[in-house]
Amino acid sequence: MADRELSPALQFEHASVAYGRTPVVEAVHGDVHPGEAVALIGPNGAGKSTLIKAVLGLVPVVGGRITVLGRTPAQARREVAYVPQADTLDPEFPVSAGQVVLMGRYRRIGWVRRPRREDRQVAAEALRAVGLADRAGDRFGLLSGGQRQRVLLARAIAQQPRLLLLDEPFNGVDAVSQDALLTALHGLRAGGAAVVVSTHDLALAHLTCDEVCLLNRHQFAFGPTEQALTPELLRAAYGGQALVTDEAVVAR
Amino acid sequence: MPYRLFVEPFQLPFMARALAEALLLGVLGGVVSVTVVLRRLAFVSDALTHTVFPGVVIGYLVAGTGGIVWGALGFALLSAVLLTVLPSNRRVTEDAALAILLTGFFSVGVVLVSRRSSYTADLTAFLFGRILTVDRREIVETAVVTAVVLAVLAVVGKELLLRAFDPGAAAALGYRVRLLDLVANVVVALVVVAAVKAVGTVLVIALLIVPAAAARLLTGRLAVLVAVSVLVGTLGGYLGLAASYQASVYYGLRLASGATVVLALVALYVVAFVVGALRRAGGRRRADRREADLVAEAA
Repeated sequence: MADRELSPALQFEHASVAYGRTPVVEAVHGDVHPGEAVALIGPNGAGKSTLIKAVLGLVPVVGGRITVLGRTPAQARREVAYVPQADTLDPEFPVSAGQVVLMGRYRRIGWVRRPRREDRQVAAEALRAVGLADRAGDRFGLLSGGQRQRVLLARAIAQQPRLLLLDEPFNGVDAVSQDALLTALHGLRAGGAAVVVSTHDLALAHLTCDEVCLLNRHQFAFGPTEQALTPELLRAAYGGQALVTDEAVVAR
Repeated sequence: MPYRLFVEPFQLPFMARALAEALLLGVLGGVVSVTVVLRRLAFVSDALTHTVFPGVVIGYLVAGTGGIVWGALGFALLSAVLLTVLPSNRRVTEDAALAILLTGFFSVGVVLVSRRSSYTADLTAFLFGRILTVDRREIVETAVVTAVVLAVLAVVGKELLLRAFDPGAAAALGYRVRLLDLVANVVVALVVVAAVKAVGTVLVIALLIVPAAAARLLTGRLAVLVAVSVLVGTLGGYLGLAASYQASVYYGLRLASGATVVLALVALYVVAFVVGALRRAGGRRRADRREADLVAEAA
């Protein structure tokens, strides 16, 4: 699926990112090419969310470099979509699923103007891509957790991004919604978008991504899933908190 | 009877002017309170109502009643900026910083006004307003502020919605969240400026919160929310004025008109609360019945 001929969509060069003076994540080094998916894996507090914010240009890079679509993170924002965890949003907020998806079009629509027919079409297609075509009129907060997560992915799809960043998208998501999310992500990658997924679910990392960036404050591995998710590396990154069995690796 | 209650009072010129002012403020408050409720700006709004107060006093001292709006405007913009910048200090929490700003500014106003011989009368007018004495110029001022606020919301309305719903996504999309917050604070401050003369700096908080809070009890749809909020705002102004007129003319009870308008708003809130609770209870009963039917079918 990956097209190695193209220049990377996302490039880490010995990057360190920091809030204030203390680096949160150090020495991240690796490329994500168009159509590729990389899982950011590490325990809670490993710095996965911070690294995602750095790719969005919201947390400063204090060492090395992060290049997004050949530009600095802040310059590339319009072509980068971010999918937050659905449960961080207020379920009482009075917006419909369709309105949430349209938010992905706001930058293209611009100030003052209202959504055009084209924007509404793209939003409707995005909802269809996550299997919620008939739920546009439903209030966002009344949908299930998994459906809300799908709506947020649809918002990102409506943005028509070249790089997609997802923060723990599978947390508390039922099987149906998980399937829908995986299908939609597959579609995005087929369309040439690069995908970065932070997760602590190693099985899902295997399922969704061909590469892994194993993190805990600094990088332990960045490469093909089989090479990065070895018992030794996982034990090192999780500090002995990972349970390694014959069949699977379970992180606690 | 309805004629005497709802039409007759407003045939008097001063009551007609008061009604025009109240309806304008109802539209303004109805729209802006949606922003306040969605952004959870109630406390910030409360702070703004107090920080505008010294501006009102200074404007009055410098240029008489004509200066009030300009003094209020100056302090409204100043406090909108301060309220946006202030909470960024990590060591002082936002509510503490707001409380300091609120009381500090408010005290400046009280100190200034206390030096005048007509201290109590002036203070009462600034704090609680005198809607029955608004003149044509003040109505025009309110209309201009309303037009400006509606124009601003037309320009950045959807961006403010995004910022209120998902600030992380707004930042990720490249919006300057701080700037959007400043716009929201300025809009709230402008409502205080517009309402100073009619309801005073203290009671305006009702106008900034009650309409959308009442509407929120009745609907989860944004467009309906705005419409109901405007309806509550204007209806509150209308009913409040009619009630204070009735009380004073037919029952010899002199009710402060501004406060009566606020009481009418609160009464509408209570109505919305009861209606909302009944509807939810009805919805639950229907759902229970459906479930019972399904269970019966299965059995």
